Amino acid sequence: MGKEFEITYVFTLFIKLLSALGTTMFIVVASILLGVIVGFLIALPRLYNIPVLRPFSQVFVSFFRGTPVLIQLFLIYYGLPEVLKLLSLDVSRAPVLMFVIFTYALHSGAFISEAIRAAVTAVDRGQVEAAYAVGMNSYQAFSRIVLPQALAVSIPVLANIVIANLKDTSLAFSLGVIELTGKAQTLVTATQHFIETYIALAGIYLLISIGLEKAFNKMERRLLSHERSAVQKAEERASYSLLSSYKGFVTRLKLGKGGSGL
Amino acid sequence: MIKLTGITKSFGRNQVLKGIDLHVNKGEVVVILGPSGSGKTTLLRCINYLERPSDGQIVIGDSIVDCKRAGKQDILQLRRKSAMVFQQYNLFKHKTALENVMEGLVIVQKRPKEEARERSVQVLEKVGLGSKLDAYPSELSGGQQQRVGIARALALEPEVILFDEPTSALDPELVGEVLEVIRKIAKEGITMIVVTHEMGFARDVSNHVVFMDGGVIVEEGTPQEIFSSPKEERTKQFLKRITPEWSYTI
Repeated sequence: MGKEFEITYVFTLFIKLLSALGTTMFIVVASILLGVIVGFLIALPRLYNIPVLRPFSQVFVSFFRGTPVLIQLFLIYYGLPEVLKLLSLDVSRAPVLMFVIFTYALHSGAFISEAIRAAVTAVDRGQVEAAYAVGMNSYQAFSRIVLPQALAVSIPVLANIVIANLKDTSLAFSLGVIELTGKAQTLVTATQHFIETYIALAGIYLLISIGLEKAFNKMERRLLSHERSAVQKAEERASYSLLSSYKGFVTRLKLGKGGSGL
Repeated sequence: MIKLTGITKSFGRNQVLKGIDLHVNKGEVVVILGPSGSGKTTLLRCINYLERPSDGQIVIGDSIVDCKRAGKQDILQLRRKSAMVFQQYNLFKHKTALENVMEGLVIVQKRPKEEARERSVQVLEKVGLGSKLDAYPSELSGGQQQRVGIARALALEPEVILFDEPTSALDPELVGEVLEVIRKIAKEGITMIVVTHEMGFARDVSNHVVFMDGGVIVEEGTPQEIFSSPKEERTKQFLKRITPEWSYTI
């Protein structure tokens, strides 16, 4: 099958694949942003026990977690226009990309809602009571006290969701969207260099994933800086500032004097 | 001035408060004593509506709230006239000591940031934490955290500060520093209602002692009356259990 393996093709194909990177990233960013909104809308009824909406949220989450995303893509791409037709809305001319983004937004929204729910319940009730005792209303208590801490807790889970979303976008080619995997398919057909194409493709996904991982790690560190002790921070500062080590030297000196056992 | 009239509270079928009347004058330090399960913490939490009373009336300053008809605004009124110090400190973990104190001043009282910062620094210095302004709760000892909690309440200049067993979660060697701070602000004439098990503190600092058991106020009076000559049998039994028979102070 295909032509003989030739390593140089990996590089040329890598460059060619990059032309579809924009589409993939567009799907990821748009669907995650929408997914966060969907996640909140789905999580709130369960967090605040809102009677009619709560079971709806549960069904929504079960469906989008419990069925393959490929089938969700087909159902929404072929099914949604039919449903909207009943409401006399014609979406048959809408770009495929819109359906794809819509599907991934709902799909990751279901997972994000679970992450939000877990994170919000992880912020201890006592701090909410303290916020109320200070005189805050429930909106102030949520946005000032609960949300920033919940966000920090949920970062590792969110990172997983975003990376999973990135990899899932590869299924969009089945609807004919020319994102990374779709582009790879066309290159395979054109060049007959199967293995080289897929190595290059895997490389691109891997690089983006690693980049995302790094970015999320950084974000988590920043948001959780309040949970690290003074000693840990000083250590970090010291190790970061090896180049401009004067400051690090001073902090280490101070700790030495305090006898903190460093 | 705080006035509670006929406060009742039930959790399901279990009636925890069975009609409490309590009057606290401005500048008074009231200590509530009682065995566990007597409803003293619940009573305290009813005053700022962290628990919703089933019935009764709460008056703080010029806010009069009828518990059966209390709406959101009524509850906010009560909470903005009071402040609370918690057993578990309940500091905002993602904010520094200074930010913890400033939060209510800026967000609730809408004071300008600079003024709020000045006021917060001043209060934190008063509780002896002038050097820990930028420390996060995780970097502070229990005693220091509780003193931030006291500063957070004090900075709001409330009509009353409610203390819910402020030293119960502390290591024994840290209790002293917290009690010392409470003693200091009590002397400044701030109205306080304190639920505590610290008998020495109750005896020295309070103007009025309330003994609760089984959801009712069994006996109340000056510290001398309650500690030296309690009238009710239940009060006598409680004090006997909780104070050592022999006092070793000279």
